[in-house]
Amino acid sequence: MIHKITLYTATLIIAAAMMTSCTTDPNSPGVEYMPDMYRSPAVEAYVDYGEDPYYVTEEVAAEQRRTMSARKPVAGSIAFKGDDKAFGLPYAYANTPEGYELAGEELKSPLITTASNIEAGAANFELMCTHCHGLEGKGDGAISRNGHIMGIPDFSIKLKDLPEGKMYHTLIYGKGLMGSHASQISQKGLWQIIQYVQVLQNGGQMPTFDSNGVALVTETENNN
Amino acid sequence: MKKPMNNRINRLQHIARAICTILVFQVFGLAAQSIWEGGDPINGQSLFNANCAACHKITNEILVGPGLAGIQDRWPSGDEMLVQWIQSPEEAAESGDKYIKSIVERYVGTYGWMTGQAVSEADISDILAYVTSPPVDGGGDTASSDNCPTIDYNAPEESDSSNAMWFLILLILFTVIALSAAGVKRSLTDVIAEKAGEDLLPDTGYLARFGGWAWNNLVMVTLIGIFFVLYGVVVGYSALMDIGTYSNYSPEQPIAFNHSIHVCENEIDCKYCHSSAYDSKHAGIPSANVCMNCHKAIKKGKRTGTEEIEKIYAAIGFDSSTGTYLDGDGNNGKALPQDSYNGEPIKWNKVHNLPDHVFFSHQQHVNVGGLQCQNCHGDVSTYSVGRIAPVEEINTLIDTYPGIIQLSKPALTMGWCIECHNKAEIDLASSGYYEEMHDRLMNSERGNEELRRYLEDEKITVRELGGWECSKCHY
Repeated sequence: MIHKITLYTATLIIAAAMMTSCTTDPNSPGVEYMPDMYRSPAVEAYVDYGEDPYYVTEEVAAEQRRTMSARKPVAGSIAFKGDDKAFGLPYAYANTPEGYELAGEELKSPLITTASNIEAGAANFELMCTHCHGLEGKGDGAISRNGHIMGIPDFSIKLKDLPEGKMYHTLIYGKGLMGSHASQISQKGLWQIIQYVQVLQNGGQMPTFDSNGVALVTETENNN
Repeated sequence: MKKPMNNRINRLQHIARAICTILVFQVFGLAAQSIWEGGDPINGQSLFNANCAACHKITNEILVGPGLAGIQDRWPSGDEMLVQWIQSPEEAAESGDKYIKSIVERYVGTYGWMTGQAVSEADISDILAYVTSPPVDGGGDTASSDNCPTIDYNAPEESDSSNAMWFLILLILFTVIALSAAGVKRSLTDVIAEKAGEDLLPDTGYLARFGGWAWNNLVMVTLIGIFFVLYGVVVGYSALMDIGTYSNYSPEQPIAFNHSIHVCENEIDCKYCHSSAYDSKHAGIPSANVCMNCHKAIKKGKRTGTEEIEKIYAAIGFDSSTGTYLDGDGNNGKALPQDSYNGEPIKWNKVHNLPDHVFFSHQQHVNVGGLQCQNCHGDVSTYSVGRIAPVEEINTLIDTYPGIIQLSKPALTMGWCIECHNKAEIDLASSGYYEEMHDRLMNSERGNEELRRYLEDEKITVRELGGWECSKCHY
């Protein structure tokens, strides 16, 4: 009788041990089926193109994996942003206090203010700007509320008369604590955001549009 | 008689009081003329946070402009000049003041002019009161991390492995006990048999005896055998099904980046850092300059201090003591990251690996399809390191993210892709992408017929528009 009980217990323990021993290591991606098809020698962004060590030896594969696939563009190269010439040109103003003033005077948006542009700008503003500037551009985003970056100016008060050229200059190079956002948003996207910021400068009041959704030029915009 | 007398005394008292008040006002008025004294630090704090904090700190730390600690000892040029400098810096600089000239030379070239602030002299006095003697408690840090719990999936699962170890120890103990108990039992039987004058048990090995026992208990042995075979089949099957699924893969990263702090606590959208998800194949790993958009100011993390953030600075060449960037020749003082700086890049470990023989585009899914990130990646805002969320977990998020499509196959496998393509509905009119297809379906007889066939189940799925064609994803 005794040996029957011990046998049952032993079996149970073995079974339990087998089941709990299947823990996963978070640092291991697991087993791959045909790794040579998963990891190819093709050079592509974000692909760690080490060939299968089985074919090229571990040394070669390790060297390949060390090669960087995300690289800086060649100096002087111009990003291709579609066929629209207005958005394909490099930015012409220098990152100096004089360049900032000059951009404020000369630089005008190549985009016409339309309802759809403002809408696209608002969507982009929500993604890219609200965590600092706040949903309504009052400088009360979460980062500001949490006390990390404070003193972010309200578009409708302190920056009410900021011309669009200066805004664009700031988005390209950054100003003060704000960094450059040129690498994150396309030029068209930047100008659309600026159109929305102009609405915020105006206290959130949308301009009046004609039947095609194009904004009728108001006096405040002339001033800018 | 008494009343007029009282009146006269009252009048005298009034006059005396008035003279006193005037005198007191005079004294305080004289004191208020110095902007360094008599300010209200509480009001000064809110004014400072609203107007100055974007560029200045009240410590020695250089943010954009110089830290303001010790300004009362540094400023040599008189109160009026300070007020003018704060209200309209460029005019103040024209006065030719030597100290102001030195500030202009040091800072304006890098960061541009300080913006003139619309603050009155009394405001400045309040601000200076705050800067020179800030309240001790500091306040400020009101971040509510309690609302944003972080699950660290990369933390080693100590409890589980120690459990397994305990089972092993117990197993060995029980085996020893079982064997010795059997031995004792055997000796006892032998003793009884000897006393009774019967034959002793045959002196055979454990194995032979086990064989004999098994033969006598055939039913139980068969049952146990079946259990082990089934167990093997189940474990083997699930192990085979795990090949190439990556679920729960959450590797350690070179920087202890915490998604929860960034996304949940500070409400940064996924696409701020993974900005190319909207118009590129890749969601993109943010380059260090994107980190610097915030970490130029935030130099100390709440949980890891300066250690982890310093790694970004090392990669991009940022000098946190001066708030400027280094270039390739080791020159300091640039306002923007320098191409020539040759830092060691941050080598993030890739979590989601797209096999080379598959084409996938984030743009198509995020921009055209309008999918939320959580649909495929789970609620990243609740955990620290990047991770492949298991499909069961994603399914449970439906309450928070109503757009999530319920799937059953392991995440990021082909079965999962095509299951979703079969379920996901398309709104032809929603984005410009389907414009031509929409036209053809609407405006031709053949198209109309096709559309009717699609709409038999009252929805148009990705599959019906070719989402199950091999060459959509493999070419």
